[in-house]
Amino acid sequence: MAARAAAGDASAFGVLVSRYQQRVYRLACRLTSETDAADVLQETFLQAFRHLSSFRGDSRFGTWLYRIATNASLMHRRSRARRPTESLEPFLPRFDASGRHAATPDELRVAAHAEELLDQATLASKARDGLARLPDAYRDAFVLRDLEDMPTAEVAVILGIEPAAVRQRVHRARLMLRGFLQDAATRSEGGRR
Amino acid sequence: MSDVRCVSGVELLADYLEGLLPADVCASLEEHVLGCERCQAFVASYQATPAILRAATDVVLPEELRRRLDQWGSGL
Repeated sequence: MAARAAAGDASAFGVLVSRYQQRVYRLACRLTSETDAADVLQETFLQAFRHLSSFRGDSRFGTWLYRIATNASLMHRRSRARRPTESLEPFLPRFDASGRHAATPDELRVAAHAEELLDQATLASKARDGLARLPDAYRDAFVLRDLEDMPTAEVAVILGIEPAAVRQRVHRARLMLRGFLQDAATRSEGGRR
Repeated sequence: MSDVRCVSGVELLADYLEGLLPADVCASLEEHVLGCERCQAFVASYQATPAILRAATDVVLPEELRRRLDQWGSGL
């Protein structure tokens, strides 16, 4: 289908739009916001249509399209003055002088139970807030690698960085978001007592 | 006895999960985690975090937007 579209078959491109619109929209929401995702979605397919002849089939069409969608999301984000947000640094794990986790096992474990302790709407809101509060570089790597399930090497190509840098950014994002979930779940658990 | 502590274990975790650590470092880390209840709890929540975020940020394309895009795609 992608080859037919690249050869100028407009109806084949229409099929690809239908096939990929949901995934591109979800990616755009995760990299920007639901408010901006509609613009990113339209921009992505417009760019893809304009540059179809440059799709050479040496990568999967989905990867090629994701690269366009990611760039469109980043451009969109840059064009907007970023709202000041509170850093997630305070949610990084803490250690005592001997290098041992400062939190207790129960405190550390609670993030894994966030889905049971928080209602769906609250968790969705927390998740969006958490992504928005990540440093942009961590957010991009985390969204592509962990939420969109792309291989590290592919994320590295899309973001134009080394695979080791992808791993490092994803790791930092996981640490911050884990702590953020721990905090939210702990507050919810405390509120139930 | 393992010379890995919680603080160094956390820094090794991502590479461990991707299978990138040398065998001896891997063994030291596993030995530490086996004997450390805090690290077991930490690893469980670290591993659960992406799936929780993935589910919580899953969205459905609004019908109106889908219709507009399909119309645009079929009119090319």
